[in-house]
Amino acid sequence: MIDFGALDAAFALLSSSWTAWVFVLPGLIIGLFFGAMPGISITMAMAIFLPMTLYMDFLPAIIFLTAIYTGAGFGGSVPAVLMNIPGTSSALATTFDGYPMARQGRHNEALGLALTASVLGCLASYILLLVLIAPVSHVVLKMGPLELFVIAVWGLLLLGSLSGNSLPRGLLAGVFGVLLGTIGMNTAGFIRGTMGVPWLLDGIPTIPAMMGLLAASQLLGLINTSYLIEDEGLRKISMPKILSGVKMAVKEPKIIIRGTLIGVIVGSIPGVGSSISNLLSYSEAQRTSDDGESFGKGNPKGVIAAEAANSSSEGGAMATMLALGIPGGGATAILLAAFAMHNIVGGPSFIAQNKDIVYAIIFSNFAQAMLLFFVGLGFVYLAGYVVRVPLRFLIPSVLVVSVFGSYAIDGSASGPITLAVFSVLGWAMVRYDYPVAATVVGLLLGRLLEGNLLRSYQVSGGKLSYALERPGALFILALLVLSIVLSVISRARKKRRLSVRDAAES
Amino acid sequence: MTRPQGLRISFGHLALLAVICIAVIAYLLDARATSLKPNNLLLVQPAALLALVLIAMVIPQCFRRASPDTETDKPKETWGDLAKVGALIAAFISLALMLDVVGFDLATFGFMVVALFLCGERNWLLNLGYSAVFTVLLIYGYGAIIPFPFPLTVL
Repeated sequence: MIDFGALDAAFALLSSSWTAWVFVLPGLIIGLFFGAMPGISITMAMAIFLPMTLYMDFLPAIIFLTAIYTGAGFGGSVPAVLMNIPGTSSALATTFDGYPMARQGRHNEALGLALTASVLGCLASYILLLVLIAPVSHVVLKMGPLELFVIAVWGLLLLGSLSGNSLPRGLLAGVFGVLLGTIGMNTAGFIRGTMGVPWLLDGIPTIPAMMGLLAASQLLGLINTSYLIEDEGLRKISMPKILSGVKMAVKEPKIIIRGTLIGVIVGSIPGVGSSISNLLSYSEAQRTSDDGESFGKGNPKGVIAAEAANSSSEGGAMATMLALGIPGGGATAILLAAFAMHNIVGGPSFIAQNKDIVYAIIFSNFAQAMLLFFVGLGFVYLAGYVVRVPLRFLIPSVLVVSVFGSYAIDGSASGPITLAVFSVLGWAMVRYDYPVAATVVGLLLGRLLEGNLLRSYQVSGGKLSYALERPGALFILALLVLSIVLSVISRARKKRRLSVRDAAES
Repeated sequence: MTRPQGLRISFGHLALLAVICIAVIAYLLDARATSLKPNNLLLVQPAALLALVLIAMVIPQCFRRASPDTETDKPKETWGDLAKVGALIAAFISLALMLDVVGFDLATFGFMVVALFLCGERNWLLNLGYSAVFTVLLIYGYGAIIPFPFPLTVL
């Protein structure tokens, strides 16, 4: 599995040239800064600095871009914790418990947890990448539309765990999100629900919609509050408390390992990636945890599960990109563009001929993850000061930053208008106890779900027996059914345990 | 919101459900008008029908018998509080619509002044000063990192 000769050559490559290392720190800081800015995606951060890499050698260029990737991967969780704004779609599940923790005055711990889970998840994913890069490439090549559809359905069924107090409201929020996600032109060329608006042809812009549903809606509801954390004593920024979050994360190796495995596997599937892996990992942690009922109310395990999975997806996405030359998402597409700018073609032949470079990239990512811990500590310490800003300044400022962020996506009014519409919808949904996160998940998955269902329908000619010819899809389906059955059993057990405890107390 | 006989009707919730219901029906009709082929309706039609069934299941939740427990469950918002939220929403929508029309600088400055006032900042010097500085920093800061130019009027 590991070529030791190439390993030796990789060490030689990295230790003989200072240029390979000099761009790591700037890359991380750029990534953290851009990832933490709502509306500026990892892809945009990497795209802005892509032209600069033209003047670098190949290895430093890739290391610089992957450092941005690593930094931005964690950066997105800072606004997710502090303001309920997932800086990137992969930080969505981080908001579920990170923001409630911040509202309870445990923002220091939440940031420490997120940083540690991110660093450990990223490190573990690159260790797995080192060992598994060859086998992963074989599996990914066998994924068809039916398998991708089943994975998307799995993601959708997570809505059950996000549904809050009322199952019909949770499902309605999710199905409404899916419908909104299918607006525009589908893969068969049919145009629906655009109301004649040209920019809706590509569908509802998901990032502004997500920012509106999750963040702006919350801010509108906070207008009658003075501070994000009402208790003055809890607003302090404390390095010891951030470090206690670090300790809490280290004490949950099971959640980190499970999140990492989910992140690497799901992250390696093109088009799915970290936006689903964090949800899968979160729901698995909720299902298997003894205190699953406190998820969504500020349970640290929720933050650990989400962050371990979204940061480890980077390793999975890199595996697909390096092994097959297929970009799983925008960030790896930019890396592939950087390959092309240096006249290098990614894919199986690249791995076969340049294993030393592949291993050097993996090793530099180890170093990036470790360095991220220290740079990230300083970054979250400074970012934590946001809880001390009075809400009368924070609400208008963050709303305006969200508007600028939504405009920055494609430079048109479509982003701000979508943001405004969805913030009102989100505010109304939150007011009547609908889980807006379910709508966001539906919105993200709608297009993926329809595209893959359509392709499966076209490939199979409408015959259901086609599913029997796809053992991979059946295996994933079996996993899905198993996870639902286990979830039902564990919920029933928990209910029984709670009722026994209540009876004993009364 | 509360009926004397103890039946509590949540008109706001009913309005939200009506909006979702109208949106789903309009989308389904538009999709069916585009084409009745499976390639068009494979996911949209079953999902829309499921949404309508779920709406029918949620509607009864808008009519609840008032009990002392539910009355004290949530802190009561006054009409004044709701009016403030409504005004902020109106200002926010105006900001989104006016950016291209009056320029990012004027729209942002105007929104900041109004929103700071609505959020409780009564010191006009601080309000105007903060709004102006924040607008300038944001326009030049974002302008430096994003590849699209902002339409501006003054700056």
